[in-house]
Amino acid sequence: MKKSLLALFMAVALCLPLFALAGCSDTTAVNDFSVPEEGFDTEKEVTITFYHTMGANLREVLDEYIVKFNELYPNITVEHKQVGSYDDVRDQIKTEITVGNQPNIAYCYPDHVALYNLAKAVVPLDSLIASTAELKRADGTTEVLGLTDEQKADFIKGYYDEGAQFGDGKMYSLPLSKSTEVLYYNKTFFDKHGLQVPTTWDEMEEVCKKIKEIDPDCIPLGYDSEANWFITMCEQYDSEYTSATGDHFLFNNQKNIDFVTRFRDWYQKGYVTTEELSGGYTSDLFTKDSAEKGNSYMCIGSSAGASYQKPDKDADGNYVFDVGITTIPQVDASNPKVISQGPSLCIFNKESSQEVMASWLFVEFLTTTPEFQADFSMKSGYVPVIKSAAEDPVYKSEFLELADGGDYIQALSVKVGLEQEAAYYTSPAFNGSSVARDQVGLLMQKCFTVSSDGDVAAAIKKAFEDAIAECEYQAG
Amino acid sequence: MSELQNKTMQEKDLKKVSAHQKVGKIVVKVLLYTFLIVMALIVIFPFYFMLISSVKTLPEYQRSVPTLWPEFIRLRNYIDAFNTGNLGQLFVNTMIVGIVSTILSLVITVLSAFAFARLEFKGKNALFAALLGTMMIPGELFTITNYATVNSLGWMNTYTVLIVPFLVSVFYIYLLRQNFMQIPNELYLAAKVDGTSDIKYLWKVMIPLALPTLISITILKMMGAWNSYVWPRLVANEEEYQLITNGLRNAFTDAEGNANIPVQMAAVAIVSFPLFLVFIFLRKYIMKGVSRSGIKG
Amino acid sequence: MVESKHKWKAWLYLAPAIILLIVFTVWPIINTVRMAFLEGYNQTAVVGGATYSFGIGNFTKVLEYKGFLTCLGNTMLLCVLTVPLSTILALLIAVCLNAIKPLQRLLQTIFFLPYVTNSIAIGMVFAAMFNMVGTAFGGENELIITSGIINNIIEFFGGVPINWINSGSSYAANMVVMVVYIVWNALPFKILILLGGLQSINKQYYDAAKVDGTPGWRVFSRITVPLLSPMLAYVVITGFIGGFKEYSSIVGIFGEDMGPAGEPGKLNTMVGFIYDSLVTQQGRASAAALILFGIIFVVTMLNMYVSKKKTHY
Repeated sequence: MKKSLLALFMAVALCLPLFALAGCSDTTAVNDFSVPEEGFDTEKEVTITFYHTMGANLREVLDEYIVKFNELYPNITVEHKQVGSYDDVRDQIKTEITVGNQPNIAYCYPDHVALYNLAKAVVPLDSLIASTAELKRADGTTEVLGLTDEQKADFIKGYYDEGAQFGDGKMYSLPLSKSTEVLYYNKTFFDKHGLQVPTTWDEMEEVCKKIKEIDPDCIPLGYDSEANWFITMCEQYDSEYTSATGDHFLFNNQKNIDFVTRFRDWYQKGYVTTEELSGGYTSDLFTKDSAEKGNSYMCIGSSAGASYQKPDKDADGNYVFDVGITTIPQVDASNPKVISQGPSLCIFNKESSQEVMASWLFVEFLTTTPEFQADFSMKSGYVPVIKSAAEDPVYKSEFLELADGGDYIQALSVKVGLEQEAAYYTSPAFNGSSVARDQVGLLMQKCFTVSSDGDVAAAIKKAFEDAIAECEYQAG
Repeated sequence: MSELQNKTMQEKDLKKVSAHQKVGKIVVKVLLYTFLIVMALIVIFPFYFMLISSVKTLPEYQRSVPTLWPEFIRLRNYIDAFNTGNLGQLFVNTMIVGIVSTILSLVITVLSAFAFARLEFKGKNALFAALLGTMMIPGELFTITNYATVNSLGWMNTYTVLIVPFLVSVFYIYLLRQNFMQIPNELYLAAKVDGTSDIKYLWKVMIPLALPTLISITILKMMGAWNSYVWPRLVANEEEYQLITNGLRNAFTDAEGNANIPVQMAAVAIVSFPLFLVFIFLRKYIMKGVSRSGIKG
Repeated sequence: MVESKHKWKAWLYLAPAIILLIVFTVWPIINTVRMAFLEGYNQTAVVGGATYSFGIGNFTKVLEYKGFLTCLGNTMLLCVLTVPLSTILALLIAVCLNAIKPLQRLLQTIFFLPYVTNSIAIGMVFAAMFNMVGTAFGGENELIITSGIINNIIEFFGGVPINWINSGSSYAANMVVMVVYIVWNALPFKILILLGGLQSINKQYYDAAKVDGTPGWRVFSRITVPLLSPMLAYVVITGFIGGFKEYSSIVGIFGEDMGPAGEPGKLNTMVGFIYDSLVTQQGRASAAALILFGIIFVVTMLNMYVSKKKTHY
């Protein structure tokens, strides 16, 4: 009897090393890459895989440009796959990393990169960017492997810098296409009542007050993302949010408490609502019939979602109102700060440096080719990441120049996104930065709904402390 | 027992119950039935609500004074639900996983139960006791490692990952072993003398005799596939391999705001319907299986 | 000769079961204990070459964490509320069912119906019944379209509608919804077992009581309950075990956020906590799983101890 139990445990003991091996055998734990002496071999066949979240219409654009890419590099086969949402991409790759079959390239957000880097799986791009190795392309032209100074300068700086926000000084991603937050406003309504479009938060408060007087049943402003709001305010006030090194979570400070308290007051007065608090995208309120209760006249939302901000058409086929788009309100209008979001591309470690370089060439191609950036922008409504895309003649004549508050609202939002090019900031990224993001979003919701009956200041203070504690636990 | 001796005598007395005792009895009966019927109505109310809501139009559903019977029966909700949730694919996936895992699980269970019930080998009792011991441990404890294991085996998002980890149920082995033990050993020995192979004997004698138990296991296993949620959610999130419950919860997550609840209820009804069908036809086996197992699937 | 052949065969027949059990049951037990005692264990970082020291850090971290204590509290509260409630109700229904002849089968079938449902799917039905469509915020922003069938019923009887599960709803309201749903879900199994028990009680005991003219409630407390005590103990023990593993009923009502909008995790449970940490923090998930196992073990032992003292076989 005892013997058989013993046998069972022996069997288990035998299994142990097997699993240990299965767990870590085929992964490389190096997190560095340097371009080999011999450079990239343009003769050798290589296949790379690319995970993204593109819908069918964007995949079309991608396929088109893969063909163009292959005209330059016929030896590189690009296979790509739509994995689902951004979170799905992250989860899939995270599990694949543990067995070493991660893709070569993937759509990424900064916190994804930080997560992958726990397993030291992402290739630092510095050596590739700096490389001056020359390679001959199939069309006869010669090209350096790295980025030229012109190419680097062509990137919108705020977008480019996002790749180096990891606290170790290395560059881990290149931006592919970006969106930002913009202020949508009901231009017809503003014109009719002689209202000024607010450029600062103080002006915003005034405008809300005036709108409330005109239409007491409305909620003048909808702000979609509570988290973006918090993070952007930290940036605008130059108060602390997070840090990639040392103590990560720094957002519990007086400046932040002050602005949260102020906006809570707005919420309580019925000036503003948010996505979570209203139970849906605030564009629903913006496009709602103004005769109904709870509609709004301004909306701060993603520039990529402009088509959702279009109102219904009336019986004559005209839009019920005209939409205006502008930069979101600021603390200091002369030093604007706006968030940048949307996918970047990162490259994963592979044993073959040939694969890594092939991946780099493709990433470089997508991010620095103006035609691709322009086409992608037109199809997706995202802002191109390089300035030269805006010079593309087709893009100009068929998109940007048509921008209006109706059918071409998407072009208008991209235009605003391009114009505020100097205002983009990036937040530090580390394993846990997404926790901070989630927590400050919840924090805003919690604080806004604090009842005025009790001690508001104490409740807000406690909410901040709780959020910090939650971050510390999740990331620790 | 002296009471029993008195029984016949007393029975005569009982027949002479006074009129007011009879009234009391009727009152008790009325109370009993009232209680049971009220409880039964409460129990079936959610089903009724699901069915009527599933055929209402959205405006009718959202009325502040609800209608108890839909004014207009909108069957389109069912089509919408089917399309929104991609229920067809989910049905197919669930059936594949359910059928394959049931068959494999039955084979493994029968073989193991046979070994434990009929064959003699060293350490049999100890091994059996050890198996029963594992039943005490909550399954969540296994999940953490199993997640890592299937990941390192490269099984993520496959049918395999939905089938293999749960093929062995110690409880079913136990159940079937008890059943096999009731079959007289003489039959087996006689078969041995005739030179019948184990497998043939199993197939010809044991399985037919234990059929009710096997049917119970089959139903519970199929219901298990139909209802499983947590494990598939962890390991098979790709739509290609999603099971019905996950698909249902994912496709209709918006619990607030503008959710089209009638369509959602139609989806729930579609998912619930096969279960009811199985229940109607196989009530006896389900109730028997459940009363012995106390587990869902 | 035949015997030795048997031995070889026995292991052959058992091989598939044993291999699968080793991989998916035995190894996980060992590995869970291992990970629970490696402080801050994280699978992804292990790939990156991280190593961990042995200690009880995971347990202390988890036990000090407010989120975990919330889960623990929710789970305990749900257990304490639903197990007695559903057991008493089931007992009443079973006794009543046992006392009637006409309609018994039909009613029995109806009472069993909730068992053959999908707890996520029907959870969505309950959520819809308690759900207010539109936002449920007080003051300026209120925009209720329909307040849900349960509130309609409450209003019909002259009550005030309650925000059951929407954002801003109170903990007590959430709990009421969960208790109603869990009890509804737990009744069929308990009724089935208890009714089975009742039907197997020898009629002679009742006849004897009748002869003695024992009043009905005394028959119930002196005969029915004691003779039913093994089944009651079984139902209570499995009820507690099930209660401590409560998870999918909450997903059914509140979705994977495990709480009303804006308050994710408000109603999270022990099992939910384990699943949340399972992908990112295996060490802590393991510690939490061991804690859960410990609690279930202690509660089961306590139950058995009490029922042994009180059970009359």
